[in-house]
Amino acid sequence: MKARMLATHVALPVLIMAVSAQAHAADFDWMKFKGKTVTFLANNNPVSQALLTYKADFEKLTGMTLKVDGYQEQQMRQRLVTVMNANSDEVDVFMTLPSREGEQFAAAGWYGDLTAMAKNMVAKDYDPDGLSQALLKAATFGGKLTSMPMNIEGPIFYYRTDIFKKCGLEAPKTIKDVEAAAEKIKACDSAVTPFVSRGLKPAVAYTFSNMLHNIGGSYIANGKSNLCSAKGKEALDTYSRLLRDFGPPGVVNYSFQQISALYRSGRAAMAFESSNELRTVMEGGARLKDTGLLPFPAGDAGQVPTTIGWGMAVSSHSKQPDAAWYFVQWATSPEVQKKMALQGIAPPRPSVAKDPEYRKWIDEEPVRKEWQAALDVLATKGSSEVGYPIVANPESREFIGQAVQDLILKQKPIDQACADADKALDALIAQK
Amino acid sequence: MSDTAATLTQDRQKLEMAALSAPAVIFTVGMIAFPVVYTIWLGFQTFSSTGKQSFAGLANYLKLISDVEFWHGLWITIALFVLSLVLQLVFGVWLALVLFNAKRLPGIVRSLFISPFMMPPVVAGMMWLVILDPSLGAANYILQSLGLPPSDWLASPTWVIPTVALIDSWQWTPYVALIVLGGLQSLPPSVYEAAQIDGASPFKTFQRITLPLLLPTIVTAAILRSVDLLRFFDIIYITTQGGPGNASNTLNIYGFRVGFEFFNIGYASALMLTLTAIVFGAVLAFNRLRGAVAW
Repeated sequence: MKARMLATHVALPVLIMAVSAQAHAADFDWMKFKGKTVTFLANNNPVSQALLTYKADFEKLTGMTLKVDGYQEQQMRQRLVTVMNANSDEVDVFMTLPSREGEQFAAAGWYGDLTAMAKNMVAKDYDPDGLSQALLKAATFGGKLTSMPMNIEGPIFYYRTDIFKKCGLEAPKTIKDVEAAAEKIKACDSAVTPFVSRGLKPAVAYTFSNMLHNIGGSYIANGKSNLCSAKGKEALDTYSRLLRDFGPPGVVNYSFQQISALYRSGRAAMAFESSNELRTVMEGGARLKDTGLLPFPAGDAGQVPTTIGWGMAVSSHSKQPDAAWYFVQWATSPEVQKKMALQGIAPPRPSVAKDPEYRKWIDEEPVRKEWQAALDVLATKGSSEVGYPIVANPESREFIGQAVQDLILKQKPIDQACADADKALDALIAQK
Repeated sequence: MSDTAATLTQDRQKLEMAALSAPAVIFTVGMIAFPVVYTIWLGFQTFSSTGKQSFAGLANYLKLISDVEFWHGLWITIALFVLSLVLQLVFGVWLALVLFNAKRLPGIVRSLFISPFMMPPVVAGMMWLVILDPSLGAANYILQSLGLPPSDWLASPTWVIPTVALIDSWQWTPYVALIVLGGLQSLPPSVYEAAQIDGASPFKTFQRITLPLLLPTIVTAAILRSVDLLRFFDIIYITTQGGPGNASNTLNIYGFRVGFEFFNIGYASALMLTLTAIVFGAVLAFNRLRGAVAW
């Protein structure tokens, strides 16, 4: 009897939810907001560029007009800050990096809550549960789903197989192997830069976080900044030493553009840079046959890659959140994400990653296979912690970058560099 | 028509003209005054990292006094200002003299000489970023071809300010030259004829006649460049973003980051108003100097 009651109590709501969701899906009408205009504040990066190739498809499907307000990443945030501080409804949908500004924007109340929409207001084939659960979790703040993932990305390790072969090296398995390989390449082929990664102050945290986590360090311990812990210092020392001793001159100004240009031109043997840069790095085809790709080699804590993704959020000030949601839903649907994947945008849906057409595209080049294999590791083992998991995350990245630059430029000994950073970061952690 | 009637008509005409131009005047004054007043108001507010706003009184201005980054930014701003201004005035006067004396120079060559300042600073910044790249850039290639050691240019904390000053001077020296050239063309020929009769050498003529007579024009050019140089932003933002470390973190760059990257709009407003006061101070000082050297 108890078992029957339990079954009834559990099964009935599930059945009602399932029937209700099916009913919602069956009722779903893409033309519901025909004639409306949705404004999309976009970061003019490869992800939005690939998406907006299909802008006309969205307008045809929904009868809505999509107005695109596109800027470079920093300028996009600047525009968003202005719009949101003015409580303006000028923007309906915007792109966001939950790993960077998620805590901050959520605390400021800038994100519309997508939880109910993603459950109840979906087309039959949308499959919200098919999106990367890790990325959905990273976009959930205080129990509210704030954005839907557009892609999956993270820093990966690019290396030149021909130079490795010439210098008698195997693909590195550990961070120590990377250092040893850099040392050997320096002696074996002086014309190339052995290793390159990000040295530009605000950009460092993206790659450094992977190194820190692989080594076994953490940004915060017992509510305090932890860069001066043994693992923190080891990560700072290893990262800065690799760039100082084996990186290109002027590496402190290097972000993804410079790294991709250096590697693509054949003047770097190893590069630790975003998976998104594959298309740029392979432009012209010079690196297509001599590049190997891996997740960043393991440290004492194994491989804990950095995994993030751009998301699409609905502004809390939008006067038409439902119409805005239609655009978000279309843009993050399996069909559109498959089309974007075929343009080299790594899909945040495992089902798209397994799609036969996408697999065929992947199988066309060995380097694409390795890229996808690295992304699979990112998807399963990744951490979205880039910089400090606090509201002032963007500012925290400055101090991480400052400590790394102090060491690259030998402006401070490691104890002072990490202590100065910890002091500033403790003040940020304490901020409300 | 009696005098009274004529006066009344004139007054009416004045009133009509005032009424007709009032909307444009109000709009223009509003457009200037509103952002300034709003920024002053923001300077008395504090914003938390989440954008929550509250009245802070003078707290933002008191924070400036103990903010190491502010003083560092001020020092960088002044260093960049002095270095760039000296370079641009010296080479601007020299270029103007070259263009003034080379009267047969084809128009296209003259246009080429003065073309850099027509280029958007962002484009100039991108171009120099590529040229000065320590690994792939042409600058180090040329240095090494001449047997000279390569430089880290924008990536060196020591050289970043001189390098940025050089980029800005490459772009704006022709602008100064153009102003000075206008001044040279308006100098009275009789003074030069007298100097020639007295047997003055070309250097003496320049030192005793041209330079003193040109001083008001040079000071005008200095005022125009000072306003830009104290608000230095675009080239640094494109090339170094204030780095390496904070070696090129001018007040303007610092204010931008505080406001638009860390979302502390109140403190950023206080920083920018302080910078505005510095710009006003410099302009007033140069204006006084211009009065002193006028002829």
